[in-house]
Amino acid sequence: MITLDVLKEFGANTDEGMERCLNEEGFYLSLIPTALEKEGYLKIEDSIKAGKLDEAFEAAHALKGVLSNLALSPILKPVSEITELLRARTETDYEPYLNTMWEQRDKLAAYI
Amino acid sequence: MNEFADERLNIKRKVLVVDDEIVNRQMLGKILGEDYEVHYASNGTEALEKLRDESGLISLMLLDLMMPEKDGYAVMEEMKADKELASIPVIVLTSERAAEVQSLQKGAVDFIPKPYDMPEVIKARVKRSIELSEKTNVINATQSDALTGLFNREYFYEYVGLLDHYNPDIKMNALAVNINRFHLINDMRGRKFGNDLLIAMADAIRSLVREEHGIGSRIDSDSFFLYLPVHKTPEEILTVLANGTEAYLDNPRSRIRLGVYESADRALEPERRFDRALMACNSIRKNYSTQIAYYDEVMHKDEAFSERLINDIGKALEEKQFCVFYQAKFAIQEEKDVMSSAEALIRWKHPDLGMIRPDQFIPLFEENGLVQKLDRFVWRESAAQIKAWKDKFGIVIPVLVNVSRIDLLETDFIDEISGIVRSNGLNNEDLLLEVTESAYTENSEQIVEIVNRLRGLGFKVEMDDFGSGYSSLNMLSSLPIDALKLDMGFIRNIHNNDKDMKMVELMMDIADFLSVPVIAEGVEEEEQYRLLKDAGVDLIQGYYFSKPVPAEEFEYMIRERVDSLKEREK
Repeated sequence: MITLDVLKEFGANTDEGMERCLNEEGFYLSLIPTALEKEGYLKIEDSIKAGKLDEAFEAAHALKGVLSNLALSPILKPVSEITELLRARTETDYEPYLNTMWEQRDKLAAYI
Repeated sequence: MNEFADERLNIKRKVLVVDDEIVNRQMLGKILGEDYEVHYASNGTEALEKLRDESGLISLMLLDLMMPEKDGYAVMEEMKADKELASIPVIVLTSERAAEVQSLQKGAVDFIPKPYDMPEVIKARVKRSIELSEKTNVINATQSDALTGLFNREYFYEYVGLLDHYNPDIKMNALAVNINRFHLINDMRGRKFGNDLLIAMADAIRSLVREEHGIGSRIDSDSFFLYLPVHKTPEEILTVLANGTEAYLDNPRSRIRLGVYESADRALEPERRFDRALMACNSIRKNYSTQIAYYDEVMHKDEAFSERLINDIGKALEEKQFCVFYQAKFAIQEEKDVMSSAEALIRWKHPDLGMIRPDQFIPLFEENGLVQKLDRFVWRESAAQIKAWKDKFGIVIPVLVNVSRIDLLETDFIDEISGIVRSNGLNNEDLLLEVTESAYTENSEQIVEIVNRLRGLGFKVEMDDFGSGYSSLNMLSSLPIDALKLDMGFIRNIHNNDKDMKMVELMMDIADFLSVPVIAEGVEEEEQYRLLKDAGVDLIQGYYFSKPVPAEEFEYMIRERVDSLKEREK
């Protein structure tokens, strides 16, 4: 189960995230699983692999917005890096970034 | 801090949150849910649908920019083009600094960065944006004329002041625009057509003021004011207005008139400057061959003279500078022409300006509502004079006094006039009452009822200016009157068998049908007298017999005829 302690230990800036949720712990925690749903992450990965960098950028940008609002910093970091690379449509090896992204996402998702 | 209407009215406004990410939507919903009824859309198309479904009830939209299919920019573009949606304020949600500028340019009122600010900041921004938008809407609604969208009078003068303030060195013209006989266009083509014409005129004015960096206003009905830098000539301005209205006016250049107060003096209040433009415009009201009139020295002198009179009115009433002159009326269908009665005519003996004619000051009295005081003064003076002559000569010379529409509608009118007659020991038929034909046209039923009551009490009521064109034949047959007085305009130029003479004969037939005597005034020449006598006119008034004279002079006329007058009274 995801708790505030789990999030803190994970490295999330829970004070910031909680503040945006009017310090309602239950509400804040209820939003976390949605931010961890695989769909968004897969869309980034699949689009990059298919060479569809525009679509990949849109997906990464959207996910970045959600993660930043919830202050899930460890996942936000690689997603932000991917977003910036995609913004410039950089042709590079995204694998390491994607791996970090998945690693961090899975780490937290394990608590669901 | 201004009062926010929902606190007073207990209204929970609706806001629409548009974001393709459910987490973001829920988070904003949480922040705003306490103060607002929050609606959601997950993409641009859905957002526009919701805005339209709620038809004007969404107070604000929070809009994510980057969304699949229709993005935030496209939504704002569509809103801008839709009259219903254009005034809904939009706050853009974005993590992109560059997008902030672009979205403000597209019409967003504010932006909220992602990740979101502290909830209090978001709440404050939303509240302030709604307040500003509502105030703007209220101002837009109150400052504009609903039909044309031009400024109304009050706001126009405000903006004239602002324009002067920021451009103190630019010379400006004050212009007044009017459409000749606009009421006839409304009557003949219908109100819708008339309104379309006014809208076309307003559009032409709008294009002019945009191009010239001025402002325009619809003052009332078909009256427009323009405040423009001295650049285009009045002729060029008239051409623009004529071109803009040619779909509605047969000969637009000749139907529009323009009053120009050039390089308007800024020391004057804006109202005064446009009074001058309007004065110029009205000076060509009946002159269809002239379309442009300028406020000039002559008008300036007239204006200064009127202003002097307005200032002196109060004192003149106090100091009794007014006096009554009398003009004799003669019965001409008897063996010998005999003086039968008189008409009371007011004069103002101004201590500095000398004798002032009523046509110079009566309109001013009518404007400031003092004309009734003046009327009552004349009634009292005239009744006292009838009594004085009665006491002196033993005969009654009835005197005709003017009674306006406003007088008739006063609740105490009948008491007042009866009281005046009674207090002088006269009969009601001794003080003749004159009502103009035009008085019968408005509130005619009420006027007819009052006149009937007066006649029931024994007063004689004459209709003045008959033939000046207001009565319908149908109305005439039901009018309670004791005599018809022909409009002076017909008498002035009558000659044997000419058109005016034919008109007189026609009116004689109407009088005959109504079985009332006819009076002609303004008779100056022998030929007029002869023609009118032959036509059967009963009574005549005019310089041919006597000009209006003071009571003392009138007394000589009575003295000379006292025997015949007594004989006639028997």
